[in-house]
Amino acid sequence: MTFNKPIQKGAITAGVLLCLSSFATASAAADCSVKVGAVLPTSVDWGRPIAAVAQYAVDLANEAGGVTGCDVELILRDSQVDPKIGVDAAKALVDLDGVPLLLGAVSSGVSMPILTSVAVPSDVMMMSCCSSSTAFTELAKEGKSKGLFYRTFATSGVQAAVGAMVARDKGYKSVAILYKNDDWGQDISNLIAGDLEALGITVTASVALNDAQPSYRAEVTQALKGKPDALYLALYPTEGSAAVREWISLGGTQNMILANSLKSDEFRDNVGMQYLGNTTGTDTASPRTESASAFVDLYKAKFDSEPNGPGLSNSFDATMIALLAMHAAGKDASGSQIAAQVAVVTDPEGTPVSADAAGFAKATEILSGGGTVMYQGATGNVRFDGSGNVSAPAVTWTFTESGTQEASYITLEEVDEFMALVD
Amino acid sequence: MIQSLADGILVGAIVSLGAIGLTMVMHMLRFANFSHAELLSIGAYSALVFDALFSGILPILANKIGPLSMTWALILSMFCAMGATGLSAVLIDRFVFKRIRDKGDELSMVFASFGVALIIRNVLGLIFGLKSQLYSNDIVFAVMVSSDPLLLIKPDQVFVLLAALLIMLVLQFVLSRTTLGYALRAVAENPSLAEVSGIRLSWVIALVWIIGGMLAAAAGVFYGLNNHINPVIGRDLVLPIFAATIVGGIGSVFGAVLGGFIVGISANMALLILPSGYSPAVPFMIILVLLLVRPNGLFGETQT
Repeated sequence: MTFNKPIQKGAITAGVLLCLSSFATASAAADCSVKVGAVLPTSVDWGRPIAAVAQYAVDLANEAGGVTGCDVELILRDSQVDPKIGVDAAKALVDLDGVPLLLGAVSSGVSMPILTSVAVPSDVMMMSCCSSSTAFTELAKEGKSKGLFYRTFATSGVQAAVGAMVARDKGYKSVAILYKNDDWGQDISNLIAGDLEALGITVTASVALNDAQPSYRAEVTQALKGKPDALYLALYPTEGSAAVREWISLGGTQNMILANSLKSDEFRDNVGMQYLGNTTGTDTASPRTESASAFVDLYKAKFDSEPNGPGLSNSFDATMIALLAMHAAGKDASGSQIAAQVAVVTDPEGTPVSADAAGFAKATEILSGGGTVMYQGATGNVRFDGSGNVSAPAVTWTFTESGTQEASYITLEEVDEFMALVD
Repeated sequence: MIQSLADGILVGAIVSLGAIGLTMVMHMLRFANFSHAELLSIGAYSALVFDALFSGILPILANKIGPLSMTWALILSMFCAMGATGLSAVLIDRFVFKRIRDKGDELSMVFASFGVALIIRNVLGLIFGLKSQLYSNDIVFAVMVSSDPLLLIKPDQVFVLLAALLIMLVLQFVLSRTTLGYALRAVAENPSLAEVSGIRLSWVIALVWIIGGMLAAAAGVFYGLNNHINPVIGRDLVLPIFAATIVGGIGSVFGAVLGGFIVGISANMALLILPSGYSPAVPFMIILVLLLVRPNGLFGETQT
């Protein structure tokens, strides 16, 4: 344990510096300020750009006149991808700085304790860029999140739904599922099993595969028993190729539907192209809309690189939408009052506004006049469902001799429509 | 049911081969060698290298034997790999375990074996990459032995089972009928007394490592033939192999064989009653129960 101390110290210093730097940038224009908290893993490589893009969204908002006429002050704290540190950070932001709105966290494992032990008891709204666990949906359905939680990152639900869509379109009557025995695998297998059954497709077996087992023969035999028309695989390449080789050698069907985790050369090479002719993969995709490419241009101009890291567009939209909702809720609004205004910002009937300083200014003007807007952001026309979830466009893909190629693009609207059908 | 039994026997044969070497080393040198399973990786990878070499020199060797995915080149490679792995085992002993044996205690040996395991695993990853590789990319289809109850068996599996049994028989012969075997058993019983009787201790220890390494290499190649090869197969197999050794009783070759089959069959059969996510726990349940009833394993002698 003692080895960790210098690292922690370093991280805390970095966190303090980041906080100070955000203080410095906020001391411009308007004579009042509103505080917004952010709990993001700034001490890890991939976390820093997520925080930087959130700060950038805040800068754009300030450029456009700020929120309720005041400058926004983003107080950033490091979560170190650690639930305990994340909760401490969130608690400090809520109790000491009195923020009504928290941006973050990234990992579901950090966001969840912050939501249940900080945000909900203190009536603070939470907007996460990147947490994908369906546990939040469960919590929202039980009413335990009190409508305070939103996220701009699609859950595994999208991928499961597209998998079910493929099964339906190909006319499979029965499907067996092999899934990785972790949170993600269990999640996606439960979701697709539900979706398939809603479509009237039989799930003959749903078999968990543990990592690092000497043989998957027994598991595969188990799945083979119902003689399904097709096989759905939510596995990683190593155990995926071992299991599929067993599956094919035992005479299992070569109709396969794959989650994006198997989009790998290792899987293709080890199974062999001759057996992958009837295989279709699924993946979520970035939206092909003008607003999405506008964000890419904006990002390139500001950061001088492509927004290729995880969660960048999501972080940008999370910040923008949360700030607009804050504006709509008016001065000194509570967390639940802000959360209630999210629907006004993402109203499909509202006036379209773009995701830049001009769009933000236009949106605040309309919202101040009591109107509604449709925010068109980096992840497309963001729309939340009753549990604070968004969906995303998707693609299906197939293997080729040299890699993979896209087979079809499924727009956000088509995904939404299908998910409503199977829900 | 029958299918699970058959699969269990076939998995068990591979585990048994690994467990024999481990039980001999543990008995002779009196430490739990956690790096033993890495010898399987060394064997599997050296066979991969020899296989490429032989197929390159004599393409005719790359033809498949009957219905098997095994080629003549791979059989030759297997013997070479057995030699190479036996040699590596001796070298590892010379450079690491011997020095610690002379200075440290048994616990240091156990820790050292963890270190050796990590080093081997990572060196293999460095040389061959982390992704899985195969001896043959073709998928050999299983033969339906009976349709009700469903029983599918791959020709490779039958070959592996027979080969493993043959190797075990040869070993049994060496141990029980040759002077070498007597020497091995004498050293295991009482090293000092054996030394006084004119047995060279260092040679016998080397011999144990060679036998253990050769068996491990065979197990590694058989595993690779049925599944796949990657740098972490040692990590994946170390627990089943230890389970087999402990169930069988440390020091008993026959126990190790039986232990291997028990572990293989129970892990496969467990799926009939348990959800698949829990099956890896079954061999350990068996260890716990067995150790409560027979603290020295099925065939282990009471150690002093």
